[in-house]
Amino acid sequence: MIAGLAQILFWQGVGELVSKFLFPNLPGPVWGLIFLLSFLILRGHVNDSLAQVADAFSQHLGILFVPAAVGVILFLPQLKTHGFAIIIALGLSVALTIAVTACVLRWISADADEEQS
Amino acid sequence: MSAAVVSTVGNSALTISSLDLPMTQIWVYLSGSPLFALIITLLAYQVGLTIYLKSNRNPLANPVAIAVCGVASILLLLDMPYATYFEGAQFVHFLLGTATVSLAVPIYRGYTLLKRRIFPLLLALLLGGTVSVVTAVGVASLMGADAAIVGAMIPKSVTAPIAMGVAERIDVSPTLTAVFAVITGIIGASIGSQILNLLGMKAWWQRGFAMGVAAHGIGTSRAFIVHPLAGTYASLAMGMHGVIGALLIPLILPYFRF
Repeated sequence: MIAGLAQILFWQGVGELVSKFLFPNLPGPVWGLIFLLSFLILRGHVNDSLAQVADAFSQHLGILFVPAAVGVILFLPQLKTHGFAIIIALGLSVALTIAVTACVLRWISADADEEQS
Repeated sequence: MSAAVVSTVGNSALTISSLDLPMTQIWVYLSGSPLFALIITLLAYQVGLTIYLKSNRNPLANPVAIAVCGVASILLLLDMPYATYFEGAQFVHFLLGTATVSLAVPIYRGYTLLKRRIFPLLLALLLGGTVSVVTAVGVASLMGADAAIVGAMIPKSVTAPIAMGVAERIDVSPTLTAVFAVITGIIGASIGSQILNLLGMKAWWQRGFAMGVAAHGIGTSRAFIVHPLAGTYASLAMGMHGVIGALLIPLILPYFRF
């Protein structure tokens, strides 16, 4: 588990450096993601230690954005005023996004029926 | 010698005052260290997780939403400034970046699937992602929401850890973006299946991918509950949307500044 965590932190560090000094248009962690992904594709497999850490993170990803999201208390008056607009905008947006994505996929791929089950 | 005297005096002063006002002392100590923020964050999330599991994984009982409401109520009750809380909770917050990097693993696992279908998946993602930004921004500004809110709507369909990084780059509030991302995920996970049924979508990989594009992590965990193949494609969609959104949103946005 430690080896996997060290590997992830290493790529995160490289990503931060690249974002800071070379290509600031992408956040450091996204660079780290791209580097780790390229590394895995070149290497051809995921080692157990890395898989363990990654699975732990993706299983509990939610808790990591609690501290930032609690900042919502700073925006309470604004959110109260515009609450209705926000819910309608987000709701419509999600519904249309799901519908458009699904319909494009169905329309474009003829092999749709292969993998049902 | 004088140091010894001072330290004895110091000790006895501490003992006396902690006997006099133990609760206040404990409170002053705890609220000044990161412990308090970490404890309430983890406890609130654990409560949220328990409620979520007890409700048979009902998407409306989202553990993140419950945890945020819990922590926010505690802060408001104790009159604790958000900055003080965040100072302690930043240890959890820091791991967001690490978790973003680790998303490479699920994307890699989906890579073999992606290779076969790269064209339809990319096209669907680009169109779906565009619809998600345009409709959210359009409807919110039509309904008179202010610029801060409209701006924070732009990256909201990207998975929250990446969305917050994008928000910083396009000068909108990462906090509002995180909140909108969570609400988006909850709505998508709650109504996604009904919309897909209404459209008569049958293939699991298409259903899953649509959920992942629209509702990122929360939609993905919903998709895994419904069908494993849907879940795999949903996590692939979430990862692709994260990387492509982070690349394209800051690039394209300057041409559309309102």
